[in-house]
Amino acid sequence: MPTDPVYLDHAATTPVREEVFEAMKPFYGPRFGNPSSTHRWGREARAALDEARERVGRCLGARPDEICFTSGGTEADNLAILGAWRALKAKGRTAVVTTPIEHKAILGAVHQAGREGATERFLGMTADGVIDSASFDQLVDDEVAVCSMMWVNNEIGTIQPVPELAAKAKARGAFVHTDAVQAFGKIPIDAQKQQFDFLTISGHKFGAPKGIGALFIRRGTHIEPLMHGGTQDRGRRPGTENVAAAVGIARAAELTLAECEAHCARIRKLRDKLEAGILAKVPDAVIHGRGAERAPHIVNVSVPGTDSESLLMALDLRGIAASGGSACQSGSVTPSHVLSALAIRPDLASAAIRMSLGVLTTDHCIDRVIEVFPALVAKARQLTVAE
Amino acid sequence: MVLQERVLVAMSGGVDSSVAAALLVEQGYDVVGATMKLFCHGEDVPDRPCCSLDSVNDARRVCEQLGIPHYVLNLESRFGHDVIDNFVHEYARGRTPIPCVRCNTFTKFRDFLKRADAIDAQWIATGHYARVVDGVLRRGIDENKDQTYFLWGIDRAVLSRMILPVGGLDKAQTRARAHAMGLEVIAEKPESQEICFVPDGDYARILEQRLPHDAPALAHGPIITSSGAIVGEHNGFARYTIGQRRGIPGGFASPMYVIAIRPEQRAVVIGTRDELLGNGIVAREVNWLTDAPEVGDHVCVRVRHRAPLAHAEIVRLGGGEIEIALDEPVSAITPGQSVVFYDRDRVLGGAFIEAARRQRTQLPVLAA
Repeated sequence: MPTDPVYLDHAATTPVREEVFEAMKPFYGPRFGNPSSTHRWGREARAALDEARERVGRCLGARPDEICFTSGGTEADNLAILGAWRALKAKGRTAVVTTPIEHKAILGAVHQAGREGATERFLGMTADGVIDSASFDQLVDDEVAVCSMMWVNNEIGTIQPVPELAAKAKARGAFVHTDAVQAFGKIPIDAQKQQFDFLTISGHKFGAPKGIGALFIRRGTHIEPLMHGGTQDRGRRPGTENVAAAVGIARAAELTLAECEAHCARIRKLRDKLEAGILAKVPDAVIHGRGAERAPHIVNVSVPGTDSESLLMALDLRGIAASGGSACQSGSVTPSHVLSALAIRPDLASAAIRMSLGVLTTDHCIDRVIEVFPALVAKARQLTVAE
Repeated sequence: MVLQERVLVAMSGGVDSSVAAALLVEQGYDVVGATMKLFCHGEDVPDRPCCSLDSVNDARRVCEQLGIPHYVLNLESRFGHDVIDNFVHEYARGRTPIPCVRCNTFTKFRDFLKRADAIDAQWIATGHYARVVDGVLRRGIDENKDQTYFLWGIDRAVLSRMILPVGGLDKAQTRARAHAMGLEVIAEKPESQEICFVPDGDYARILEQRLPHDAPALAHGPIITSSGAIVGEHNGFARYTIGQRRGIPGGFASPMYVIAIRPEQRAVVIGTRDELLGNGIVAREVNWLTDAPEVGDHVCVRVRHRAPLAHAEIVRLGGGEIEIALDEPVSAITPGQSVVFYDRDRVLGGAFIEAARRQRTQLPVLAA
């Protein structure tokens, strides 16, 4: 590779931070105990786990018993939706509400609830990717068991007014879940002031390893566990806890919040530069969700007359890592359900490239993308015209 | 540093395309592997995961081992239109389609080629048993594996960008190379003989899924003899192909075969082995991979994959149509299949069979 590779896929995953790795190491070494054991080794592990729970709780404005560690965002989302639905359907609530632009973990869990008898309701969206409030008022009524809204969309970065909508949904007796996987570290989260009942975070999006996430479960909220077995985490999540990863996510969460303001300001500036640079050279590029309030780390751009699959391949071969819509099991790029739900023209949807900024993004990276991307786009368009 | 030439290799996860990629790496090309996602069984076929996932995984493993990038290219909608829809449409009009030809023509050597353009790859490669020598397509060294029957439809200009690395090997050599290069993942994978989007060989199921419920091609109709006598009933002419013996009534003095399908009467026509013979062929959508031959030229033809070569004379040519007269009669000339023209091992071109001629068409003989 002639130049340094450019990683612009932080919304997919981030590198484990050095401090996090260091914090985890003892639990792969001398402090290997099982937190359920009553002996010295067990107590040491238990102490670390308890402490990790407290620290993650503090990062979310939550109490330790409100934090349930999971294997990641997908498990946390499933636990929230299905756990709450199964607990509430007995009480006569029949509907589950969500948006059509959720992560597949939510959509899959909602469909499962549908197979278990729930009425699935999907909120209307504005063209910029924000929940339409009239649709919200209409669909979130006293039949709703769970209402789930992703705080920051993972593909286009738009922010939903979760605190305001959560308050409304609570007033109608629904449980509220928010997938905050892309929001953590970007949006102020405070469970004491905001009225969601469940909130999902995923460690590897902010410097912790893959395989650890957490679900905030508001005290007093009953959910059915997804798995059955031991009594770990009050029976909500049986199975020996991943102590090292829990320590890792706690450390990563604290570091992320401590640096949040400076980090967000830095990547917002780079994001703005990237968008301006692309638009200067490709004036008809469409940046999705630009009319809405957005998190600072995601740029989703479509250039008419290109296709994302070819462009991603060409970018990768030039050392630039970006992503397309959601990847299918095989790894092929399929048009994004998010863009489709926002009624984006199909040719634009199939041209979408997501670039997500983060710790590895420097001014130099952005310069390089501003140089390479328009050139590849111009080439792709020449080929389209030649057809 | 000398800039390496980039080649995009179509990798199915099978032994041929894997060895093709490995040979190109060995030869010093800048190799990029890609697996085409052409269809999705979804949850219909439980033992074949969505999107031929196993094939994709095998191709990816091979690329990881070769240290080259691997991508999955979604060509599903174009393949669906150019190949699967056509497949269904052809059966619906009483013909026996040959989807691999259209896949090569449209999917591999057109759509896939465009992906090569997008990444500045001058070359594309596949694991076909065929050779390109000085811009001419030639049969593969392994006569038994030769795949030129499926390649006649590609744009002639593409030949100058094609590399077919295993065309100079026989199958046993290819497998041996796979072992020698440590590609144990795929070295002994069985041949895929069936049509890729017909997972269990049951093509009629695809037709049932895609044709309207009351489609004539799947409705009952008469089985008749060439003299028009009704001798039985069938449950859809699309379930029959020329030369077939299964599913036709017995009790005849000699073995009977399907000799024709008449969609306008919904009839399947049966006849003797003799009636299956044709002495000439009319074919359409002619494509030449060399300069076009002329009326009166003698060529070799193949009317079915692996069928023996037959000698023939071109008796009519023009307007995308060709008619040939066969030196010796050929059995089961089937509309929808291909006729491919050869001069020794050179592939001249091909066309889709429109009809068989029972009688040999004679060229006007010039006065001596």
